Amino acid sequence: MDWNLLALSFTAVFVSELGDKSQLAAIALGGSSSSPRAVFLGTAAALLLASLLGVLIGEGTAQVLPERLVKAVAAVGFAILAVRLLWPGKSAD
Amino acid sequence: MQALPKPGPIDCFSDLLFIPLVSISSPAPRPATSQPTDGDKPAESVSRSAFWRIFTSTFITIFLAELGDKTQVTTLLMSAQSQAPMMVFIGAGTALVTTSLIGVLLGQWLARRVSPAALDTAAGAMLLGITVWLLWDIAHL
Repeated sequence: MDWNLLALSFTAVFVSELGDKSQLAAIALGGSSSSPRAVFLGTAAALLLASLLGVLIGEGTAQVLPERLVKAVAAVGFAILAVRLLWPGKSAD
Repeated sequence: MQALPKPGPIDCFSDLLFIPLVSISSPAPRPATSQPTDGDKPAESVSRSAFWRIFTSTFITIFLAELGDKTQVTTLLMSAQSQAPMMVFIGAGTALVTTSLIGVLLGQWLARRVSPAALDTAAGAMLLGITVWLLWDIAHL
């Protein structure tokens, strides 16, 4: 076991993730959702899969995935979640 | 707001992604470790479908937002330089689980202190902010 590498990767990712998009989303969704457990598991699973892909595909990720398109879809997703929270009546009925 | 009786589960769970009625009527959401002896727990099949709906919408948005983001850049840089990419993944994965747990717990902590309407507005504003952040990323890629 390479403890230095483990500690280094933990610290690097932990610091870079503090206050990043996904943690802010976890705060917003975890506070407003009726199932914080689902929010936690969904967030953790998404982050794990994204970083597993990072390890497996490595430098190929940039070529495989159209990054702008992926982020644009994510932006639309967050916009929908935001609109549903801000104007619940319009979409709920 | 005083503790109102929970609204009917069917009304709440008809919402695709969120359950505004529940978040309005229950200022303190059930903690992540909910007791199985909870009296007013909705029918298990209904709560399970709501769980998966929330899980899926959270998973998809976070996953897409995080693909190719700086965490992944860090991860792949380290795995490229290292002989043990799995150690990098374990370290990165533990950090990611920890930050999302902190995020959700912080959200719940806030939910107990802020009025439900203000909380929904703040959460919506945060999500809109993330949307703008992502659009900013796209414009500057």
